Amino acid sequence: MMQERLVALRSRAKDDLAKAKTLNEIEYVRVHYLGRKGAIKEIMKAIPSLPPEEKSMMGKMANQLKLEISDEVEGAKKRFSPSSDSSTDKTPRLKNNAQDAKGSFDLSLPGKRQPYGHIHPITQTINEIKSIFSKLGFAVEYGPELEQEYYNFDALNVPPDHPSREDFDTFYLDNKLLLRSQTSTVQIRTMKKRRPPIRMIAPGKVYRPDTVDARHASMFHQIEGLLVDEGVSFQDLKYALTSFSKIYFGQDIKMRFRPSFFPFTEPSAEVDISCSICNAKGCRVCSHSGWVEVLGAGMVDPNVFEAVGYDAEKYTGFAFGMGVERLTMLRYGIDDIRLFFENDLRFLSQF
Amino acid sequence: MKISYHWLKDYCDHSLSVNELSEGLTNAGLVVDASTPLGDDFCLDVEVTSNRPDCLGILGIAREVSVIVRDKLLIPGVEYPTNTENIESETTVVNEEKELCPRYTARIIKGITIGPSPEWLQKRLRVLGLRPVNNVVDITNYVLMESGQPLHAFDFDKLEGKRIIVRRAANGETLEAIDGTKCTFTSDVLVIADTKRPVAIAGIMGGKGTEVTETTKNIFLESAFFEPRNVRRSSRKLGIKSDSSFRFERHVDPECVDWASRRAAKMIQEIAGGQILEGAIDLNSIQLKETHVTLRTPKLTSLLGIHLEKNEMRDILERLCFTIISEEDDRLEVCVPSFRGDVYREIDLIEEIARIHGYESIPATSNIGVKLNPENRFDSVVEKVKSLLYGMGYNEVITDSIVDNKQDLHTGLWTDMNGIRITNPIRHDQDQLRKTIILNLLKVKKHNQNHGTEKTSIYELSKIYLGKENGAPPDERVCLSILCEDGFLPLKGVIEVILHRLNINLMLAPHPFQSDLFNPGKSAKLQLGGKIFGYVGEVSGELMHNYDFRSTPCIAELDFELLVNMATLENSYHKTSSFPTIVRDLAVIADEAITWAEIKGSIDTLKMDYLEEIEFFDLYRSKQIGQGKKSIAFRLIFRANDRTLRNDEVDVCQDEILKTLENSLNIRLRS
Ligand SMILES: [Zn+2]
Repeated sequence: MMQERLVALRSRAKDDLAKAKTLNEIEYVRVHYLGRKGAIKEIMKAIPSLPPEEKSMMGKMANQLKLEISDEVEGAKKRFSPSSDSSTDKTPRLKNNAQDAKGSFDLSLPGKRQPYGHIHPITQTINEIKSIFSKLGFAVEYGPELEQEYYNFDALNVPPDHPSREDFDTFYLDNKLLLRSQTSTVQIRTMKKRRPPIRMIAPGKVYRPDTVDARHASMFHQIEGLLVDEGVSFQDLKYALTSFSKIYFGQDIKMRFRPSFFPFTEPSAEVDISCSICNAKGCRVCSHSGWVEVLGAGMVDPNVFEAVGYDAEKYTGFAFGMGVERLTMLRYGIDDIRLFFENDLRFLSQF
Repeated sequence: MKISYHWLKDYCDHSLSVNELSEGLTNAGLVVDASTPLGDDFCLDVEVTSNRPDCLGILGIAREVSVIVRDKLLIPGVEYPTNTENIESETTVVNEEKELCPRYTARIIKGITIGPSPEWLQKRLRVLGLRPVNNVVDITNYVLMESGQPLHAFDFDKLEGKRIIVRRAANGETLEAIDGTKCTFTSDVLVIADTKRPVAIAGIMGGKGTEVTETTKNIFLESAFFEPRNVRRSSRKLGIKSDSSFRFERHVDPECVDWASRRAAKMIQEIAGGQILEGAIDLNSIQLKETHVTLRTPKLTSLLGIHLEKNEMRDILERLCFTIISEEDDRLEVCVPSFRGDVYREIDLIEEIARIHGYESIPATSNIGVKLNPENRFDSVVEKVKSLLYGMGYNEVITDSIVDNKQDLHTGLWTDMNGIRITNPIRHDQDQLRKTIILNLLKVKKHNQNHGTEKTSIYELSKIYLGKENGAPPDERVCLSILCEDGFLPLKGVIEVILHRLNINLMLAPHPFQSDLFNPGKSAKLQLGGKIFGYVGEVSGELMHNYDFRSTPCIAELDFELLVNMATLENSYHKTSSFPTIVRDLAVIADEAITWAEIKGSIDTLKMDYLEEIEFFDLYRSKQIGQGKKSIAFRLIFRANDRTLRNDEVDVCQDEILKTLENSLNIRLRS
């Protein structure tokens, strides 16, 4: 029994010494094994109680191990001695520690940094938007990316001959489904599942057969939002989106709501904020208008309510959608959408 | 849609500056993207949404301006003197496709003189970026830009049989278009033909053979309504886009077809001379129904959240050319003009009033207030796992769901089915939905290696897409894929830490797994609680070679939804013991085939009270130990909750453990 403990002790001590990186650590190992209350002393204490035939052998073995470990400790200390031949020393860190021994530790040397990871900027943007809307009570919903035409178009009041259904604007699959081209699909799925009041946002991937360039990717991310209740008005829409934009882009931005068109909202609006890159004076990013578009929104079209079986006389609501890549690009002044999917660590580690 | 600042004033004599005009239009829903000075004029680029084809002519935009500035809209007159000769004695038109061409009109102007158009007209066209050609062509373009109604002038004498037939093309029929494109038709393309051959692609472009040239004397002027979808498809198919097809695709005003024809005929007569034959051909199968809509004023108030007087509502609608049919206390019944096909419901009227009244005048106040909602469980697990990986030095990546079909060479992970295919990919070799994220992570490593980053610790947490048999809905499964540069056991450690963090106390069960993704000796299919949890392995030599990697990565792909289901988000507390531990380090010799899991499992079956932890710390082989054997060293930590353990108690436990290991696994202590 004792013999086995000694074998295990030897292997562990050697391991500890090999791992020790400073004189201090070596000293710690020495005390742990050889010290007055060290592991070997502990074992030796038990020797007198052994049967006589084992006593002497164990005593010998323990002493031998003590010598062995103490040699190892001395050997390890030599690695740090200034007189050791530095040309064979391949670990510069140890050389620095040698100065430590002489009491001339260079405090200006760089700290040893632990590596840490990064969360993708797209995820960070989504998280930030989720957290802002969560304060207004919007719960997060998800939906499938492989969708039926019904959810991507029909229920969203997109006419049967609308160009967005054609195969230059939507990816179709060999299983009668399509790759959703907008996260608005989740509006429909949520309303079909639940009764008002509803407050939800739905982040996720969407797909369009655009030829990839600095401004277009065939896969990108959107966040859809929806609020349905009795008595919801355009004022509420303006309030929610103004609150959001001021938190996300800053209190000082100016905002503009202007009429637009989406099949699933009416009245529809596009929301612009003052260009922060040029301070609204006009630059390339804002096409010299001083404004950049950040959101599409509107009051839920009665046809959409009809499709999900809500009484459009009783309930009203608003919906909005935004492009995550676009918001992230505006925020950081990134000029090429492809950077997000190239995943160069030199890019990712900036966020 | 480009407009000229000065030209616009022909129809609405506003006093707005270019900037004021741009702002006014933008606030009414017609965004002015840019205004460019050209000579003494300005070209305004107006973005017209797809529901407003009526604004694809300068007149339509002028109508909006007249509403904004509350002024009159001036529409040019189209009366003209005619010849006594009637068009019907000169030509006939046969329409074989009333579905695709619901209205076709024609006028003939004889004895014209082709020449350059007057300077004022050329100048206006140039502001819109159009190149002047000759007076007749310029006039058709002018009226197109003015009214939004496309027109086409044929050289009447070049039409075989002096007749027009509107028909589908025969398969294989050809035409050289005015822009030089040589088209070969299929039967789904609508063409305008004479008695012999196609002379124009309906709604898209005329043919070279019948175009107006310097020698043209007599004009056949076409103005029609072509079905939008067919024009769009033919245009895409033939690869020809024009100002005409752009407008037909978006639906022209059926009422304007004849007005534009008259307007152009009159201008041709005035500018190019000649005489308009009496009458016109007008094959019209469009039955216009008047659209009547009722607006309830309280509905508008509640939806917009603002109070407007009924008079204000009526005023806005009337300025937009809606006719008030009847009026009661709280409702207005209106008739919608033909060019506003987008308006047919109450909500559409509310939108018209809202946008003219101005979104800016609707206050951004609300009582929707805050509301609490429960945390989303999926998101909570994601958050926990990502923050762990973040702390361990892993970088999140996001890669494309659409991949090349080479992934089928490396299948066998989650499914044996082929990948789900995109039928209309952008690139024919990128047409599959990914069945694994692993290959994408390898590509990311490759990219980083090529750009000087040697160590790529990365992960992606998102979906893979698995087809199902017999048309069952596909499986979109969220996976966590990790690429680790530190070796197999460190990667396994990452997985174990994740399980621990999620309070999943099940043992990871690795099973040998064969795939050409992985090095056969170092790969496993992982099970958790009897379910397939994922795959982990060292990247195979073949892939190492294919990607030219300089270091060997290990990769795991895990079923994240299983983690979400098994996770316990609430941590539980147990009191920690304040008594000291007794530690025993053991080194044992075992047969090569014995696994650590067997050793640990064997000790676990004893359910020893004071055994707090078993820690593996060394594995070692040597000649001394012998062939087919290995030495395994581990530490046993003993502790009681209520007292200090004695050495002799621990000796008893240790004895029992060694006996069990010897009996069940033939393991003996190393000496
Ligand atoms: Zn700017």
